[in-house]
Amino acid sequence: MSANTLDPNKWVDRYSDYLFNYTIVRVNNREVANDLISETFLAALKSAKNFKGEASERTWLISILKRKIIDYYRKINSRKGKAEVKINYSDDFNDGEWLEEQVADQFDKTAEDEMENTELGLAILECLDSINEKHAEIFKRKTIDGADTEAICNEFKITPSNLWVIIHRARTALAACLEKNWF
Amino acid sequence: MSKKNKFFFIDCSKAADCCNKAQYEEANFLDKAKLYIHLAFCKTCRKFSQRNSKLTDLLHKSKIEHCPEEKKQQWREEIKKEFAEERT
Repeated sequence: MSANTLDPNKWVDRYSDYLFNYTIVRVNNREVANDLISETFLAALKSAKNFKGEASERTWLISILKRKIIDYYRKINSRKGKAEVKINYSDDFNDGEWLEEQVADQFDKTAEDEMENTELGLAILECLDSINEKHAEIFKRKTIDGADTEAICNEFKITPSNLWVIIHRARTALAACLEKNWF
Repeated sequence: MSKKNKFFFIDCSKAADCCNKAQYEEANFLDKAKLYIHLAFCKTCRKFSQRNSKLTDLLHKSKIEHCPEEKKQQWREEIKKEFAEERT
């Protein structure tokens, strides 16, 4: 018996946010991201018998998703008949416009920061895996969606003080996890 | 402690509660005032508060998105259907 087993009925609840955030920064289009994730789940189901249990479920799903993303880029490039190469400064009409693009980047905000932030998002979601599923869901509704306290209380049938206790525990766990894994 | 003192001097768990609410902009003025009074003399809570604000900052910076619920429902059904077919 291997350490990791698959539980397809829990995939959406457990991993869809992670996969979504992983995809959205790579394809930058919600519709496409949704399609790719849907394809990933189906492909995963089809090859579930090949899952050896060596990796965690999420790592395995991500590896399938990665292939789907690569396939997607291959497809859009072959549609054009060539790899996408953008060269700007060739047409005479926009003479001098390149000057604008030569301006130095702002020092305080670089592409690296942006990349770091997307990885941070994934790190946060990974950390949320370690806490109770329902609590993580409540925390996400409150923090990411910015939902009303009252709305969440009605949705999950809890009292506001329950909610704040859950939020407190989630935040404490998350802070500890991020300190360990992120800094 | 007199009633008046109890009103202004809160314990650490109440302070943590106020601090959490403040992260979501849900602490009222009185809560904040009590929190700051508590922070003035409680080092542990100062540290907690600092950490908590940092976490809020990180959460904002990360720009995580929640996947739309209708999509999730759609995927759940797809998986259920496919899974049932695989088994038969």
